[in-house]
Amino acid sequence: MRGLIEFFVAKKHWFVFILLEALSLCLLFRSHDYHGSAFFTTANGLVGFVTDIVSSIDAYFGMPTRNHRLEAENEILRAEVIALQQELGAKKRSARQKPFRALGAEVIKSTLHKATNLMTINKGAKDGVKEEMGVVCSSGVVGVVSLTSEHYAIVIPLINTKSMVSCRVVGSEYFGTMQWQRGNTEETIVQGVPRHAEVSVGDRIETNGYSDIFPSGIPIGEVIKVDDSSDGLAYVLTVRLSTDFSNLRDVSVITNYRHMERQVLEHKADSLMNY
Amino acid sequence: MLLLVAIQLLILDDIHLFGYATPLLIGYMLISFRRSSTRISLLLWGGLTGFLFDWFSNTMGMGMAGMTLLAFVQPAILDRFMPKDETDKFRPTLKTMGLLNYVIYVFSSFSVLHFVFYFLEAFSLSDFWLTLAGIIVGSLLSTGLVVLIELIANERKSE
Repeated sequence: MRGLIEFFVAKKHWFVFILLEALSLCLLFRSHDYHGSAFFTTANGLVGFVTDIVSSIDAYFGMPTRNHRLEAENEILRAEVIALQQELGAKKRSARQKPFRALGAEVIKSTLHKATNLMTINKGAKDGVKEEMGVVCSSGVVGVVSLTSEHYAIVIPLINTKSMVSCRVVGSEYFGTMQWQRGNTEETIVQGVPRHAEVSVGDRIETNGYSDIFPSGIPIGEVIKVDDSSDGLAYVLTVRLSTDFSNLRDVSVITNYRHMERQVLEHKADSLMNY
Repeated sequence: MLLLVAIQLLILDDIHLFGYATPLLIGYMLISFRRSSTRISLLLWGGLTGFLFDWFSNTMGMGMAGMTLLAFVQPAILDRFMPKDETDKFRPTLKTMGLLNYVIYVFSSFSVLHFVFYFLEAFSLSDFWLTLAGIIVGSLLSTGLVVLIELIANERKSE
């Protein structure tokens, strides 16, 4: 301690020198705008430079923590990628099973309270819409194209007494025929489901793919009542439709389902006839 | 000190040789301090003289910084050029040091003062060579003036 004091006493002129120089520089920067601004600009730059270095050092020492966090995040993302790849694979397989294209359309007119309800969509022959093409929406089956003009098409919806769609109970191969009965636009009747089939309230009904209009697996509705037919040989199922026809706007026309296959077959049939 | 500041302000500040070289005779006071003077007294006198000069010539801080640095290095420069066998009572003059040593001593000292003053005044390296020329010419001019003053003083003493 004594040595330190002696050192400071011996070098006291250094402190006086530094003090006087600091005082003169303070006076300089305070009294002259140019000197002041030049000094503070340089000082700011220097502070920025030092801050950058400190920040880089800080970031360097914080790397292990960040690495752990990134590794954990990577694991989560990797798991997500695997899950998504599996989902994508399943979707691709599913897409291969259902080789059809859907053409988006809008319902521009529809009736609900007639026996033969119809609806008009804004896509027609020019868009590739043809008669007997199936029409679906996000919630399920809508109907079948009946007539087409250049820009429009008339669709016979499920809620038309003349509409008949082959369907099945989800999870079983027992099928029946859906036909609407005038009145309630939210419900329809499925007939022809054999008595030995196990059907209960809450079962879902979907298309079975037997027709060349709809692929299999498109929802139609849910069983809300199970009755016996008049001859006692089959069930009569009351089904709540999955499609809300009173509030239907966006639909899709299935444009190519089995179309090519049918064309080929029909071409062969024509050849046989001409033979 | 006051006389030197007055001469500096009233006469020398109006001299701008080649447009930029101004002699800073205020340094003469520090150059003339005895070898035995304490460093603290040198620094305080230098700082005070520089401050007074700055106050009146609107160069706040520049003269004070230059004079303080000159006060700080003056003992070292003097040790380099004063005769080896002299005592601490030694006072640096033209007569005691001889012309050559004295001129080099004075020029070196003034160079320090001019260097600080001119660079603080410019506060930029954009006119580096011009500033350097100002320092050299100013230092030469100041040295010339001091030698002249010393010669006149010697003449008077001999009379």
